[in-house]
Amino acid sequence: MKRRDALRSLALITGGLVLVPSCDFSKEDILAAYKNLQITPSLKQLLAGIADTIIPPGNIKGAADLSVQDFILVMVNDCVDENGQQAFMKGLQAFEGFSKKTSGKNFSKLTKEEKENLILSGLSTEEENEKDIRSFLETTKRFTIQGFMLSEYIQTEVKPYSLIPGDYKGEVLIADIKTERING
Amino acid sequence: MANLNIDAVKERTFQAIVIGSGMSGSWAAKELCEHGVKTLVIERGRNVKHIKDYPTTNMLPYEFEHRGQIPLEVQKENPIVSRCYAFREDAAHFFVKDKEHPYVQEKPFDWIRGYQVGGKSLLWARQVQRWSDFDFEGPARDGFAVDWPIRYKDIAPWYSHVEKFAGVSGNKDGLPHLPDGEFLPGFPLNVVEKYFQYQLKKHYGDSRHMILARCAHITGNLDYYAQQGRAKCQSRNLCQRGCPFGGYFSANASTLPWAEKTGNMTLRTNAVVHSIIYDEAKGKATGVRIVDTQSKEMEEYFADVIFVNGSALNTNLILLNSTSYRFPNGLGNDNGLLGKYVAFHNYRAGISAEYHGHLEYTTQGGRPTSGYFPRFRNVFKQETDFLRGYAAGFSAYRGTYADQSGIGMELKENLLNPDKYGPWGISSHMMGETIPKESNYVALDPNQKDEWGIPLLRINVEYDDNDEKMVKDYLEQMTEMFEKAGFTNIKTRDDRRAPGLDIHEMGGVRMGRDPKTSLLNANHQLHAVPNVYVTDGASMTSTATQNPSLTYMAFAARAAHHAMKTFG
Ligand SMILES: Cc1cc2nc3c(=O)[nH]c(=O)nc-3n(C[C@H](O)[C@H](O)[C@H](O)COP(=O)(O)OP(=O)(O)OC[C@H]3O[C@@H](n4cnc5c(N)ncnc54)[C@H](O)[C@@H]3O)c2cc1C
Ligand code: SF4
Repeated sequence: MKRRDALRSLALITGGLVLVPSCDFSKEDILAAYKNLQITPSLKQLLAGIADTIIPPGNIKGAADLSVQDFILVMVNDCVDENGQQAFMKGLQAFEGFSKKTSGKNFSKLTKEEKENLILSGLSTEEENEKDIRSFLETTKRFTIQGFMLSEYIQTEVKPYSLIPGDYKGEVLIADIKTERING
Repeated sequence: MANLNIDAVKERTFQAIVIGSGMSGSWAAKELCEHGVKTLVIERGRNVKHIKDYPTTNMLPYEFEHRGQIPLEVQKENPIVSRCYAFREDAAHFFVKDKEHPYVQEKPFDWIRGYQVGGKSLLWARQVQRWSDFDFEGPARDGFAVDWPIRYKDIAPWYSHVEKFAGVSGNKDGLPHLPDGEFLPGFPLNVVEKYFQYQLKKHYGDSRHMILARCAHITGNLDYYAQQGRAKCQSRNLCQRGCPFGGYFSANASTLPWAEKTGNMTLRTNAVVHSIIYDEAKGKATGVRIVDTQSKEMEEYFADVIFVNGSALNTNLILLNSTSYRFPNGLGNDNGLLGKYVAFHNYRAGISAEYHGHLEYTTQGGRPTSGYFPRFRNVFKQETDFLRGYAAGFSAYRGTYADQSGIGMELKENLLNPDKYGPWGISSHMMGETIPKESNYVALDPNQKDEWGIPLLRINVEYDDNDEKMVKDYLEQMTEMFEKAGFTNIKTRDDRRAPGLDIHEMGGVRMGRDPKTSLLNANHQLHAVPNVYVTDGASMTSTATQNPSLTYMAFAARAAHHAMKTFG
């Protein structure tokens, strides 16, 4: 709640951005909403692209449609410890380099399939010097799944959450349960 | 404060004062008000009105910024309360934050508190098992603490009284050491829990049982509860947020509105009781001193009878801080035992496993309770090298999960159609009785005070050898039973949590027959100051293994009736 208010008033004052002059890795502005992270608009956009590759749009909206990147950043900023935050930031910052090295192009220039392959290889890399990439992608995947599944859209329009799930039944035959398939 | 005029004194005079508006205090208030006694209920925290002040109760998962998780910064600032399983984004506002109310841990003790109208009754897990004479006779039989001055027959009608009003669901199980009560229909045990029941019978005959835990939820007799403005439990299992249906018992949903409706209750919130006033000339307690938490001003309130229900350790603190010429070491503390013989429950150990049978079945819906293992060690005779025993929680659960290994469309489809079933999960945790000892005590800090000028509490409580043996035995016995039932991948744990995290701290103002060895008599009156009653956990002579709050409530109701008879 507080953050939303803070964000709102920040947005009013600064248009969403605060200039941090001592920023040492980029000439871009830093998004002040995530005070423990050094997030620039282009890093955030890259993160959205990665999340959207992990859960792409289709019949049902994808991660970026739901701004899952915002949720990922809130969680990393607030609920991940300092080591995890550092690994996340290092991996995020190194990701374009990883993309160029592995597939010869910037992430945004890749086809959908190339993007998927790149992320899958990052998630499974055993290379010592790519361990931040892996850790970053694992964190991103975990929060993408959580942010997507627990989004307002999924919880109201796709699989409505019920505050009242109904009486407990302790002996239900699985064969009798009918659920409709949801096509992504 | 000293120069109050007569009218002000009149305005501040009631027939009874109840300190604390939580689980036990609200019962004293209900009984007194219902019988026409003008009662002042004093609560240190803010008001929490049923439904109106449950800000998260109807929130959907996505409305929690961190989807339930407590941010690290908050955890770092509040390491103690962060260890409580229920301190989550949806109920954090009902817990005391460490920084706001410090205390001194001579030895590690996680003191979990709720300072607001309703106290911890908003947060509790609602498990309500009766005690039996195996518990009330324990100290006399096993030679620890002192003999309880009461027996099961003294409290049984009051258990009934409380159960009927609060609403308790459960089954009649016919166990002598876990007496049946006034039960509404029980929630079902599931197919694997029933299977385990059957396995116990097969391997242990009638000596070990796993039953449905009794819980304070309304599952029937709806017209009766409608008079309280409460409705049937909808099994939604979000109780710690406060229940808009009043489906479970809380002071806020049940006893306090009932007391209020009589017109006899006055509720004074944001008022920390500093001490009880003892009048030398009259030879009795005449009122209490409070500090207004906002203005920090001290005020006095007066009454013929005073109930102390601040929850166990705060009740100790209030009495220890109530000093006078007659009682230099705390009210009623002639024998120097006030604050001593504190005990608690040992929740350190747990066990989990898998079961690969009954795979064609699953469960559906929510259930706000689980299975329960009544104590089976040393009940009918002493059979181990430790005293007393443990009860345990038990549950089997099954659900679907999604394959999360891939990414892209495949992952998305899997997430949206979670149709994979694993084996059944099985879990249990111990609830051990600890032995009250003189060396486990609380005392006032001689120098440090809180914001309101009240000494900080120093807590000196730790495990002993008996507890270690019990942990070991629980893990061995459970492992054996799990193996016999065919459960696999059995994992045991001893999380070595500090005492206190069970949130069942008790003692310090124990009951007994002899004023030389106890503080309270059989009616919960201070031996030396009979118009002061203590009916919360502080009064407990020993702890048994059962969740204690039902017993506090029954004590409060019983003592209130005693006070009305005795003091008109
Ligand atoms: C997460 C959780 C799960 C639990 N599960 C169970 C369970 O399943 N079964 C069970 O039996 N018990 C359970 N408990 C324990 C149960 O909540 C307590 O035993 C019970 O609430 C104690 O009742 P009480 O009246 O003594 O204290 P409380 O309910 O805590 O009420 C005490 C009140 O006194 C007020 N107070 C304290 N000091 C002062 C003062 N100086 N002046 C004025 N007011 C004061 C407090 O603010 C508070 O409102 C659980 C507790 C928690 C937190
Ligand atoms: S489980 Fe019952 S008591 Fe708990 S919140 Fe749901 S309806 Fe209310």
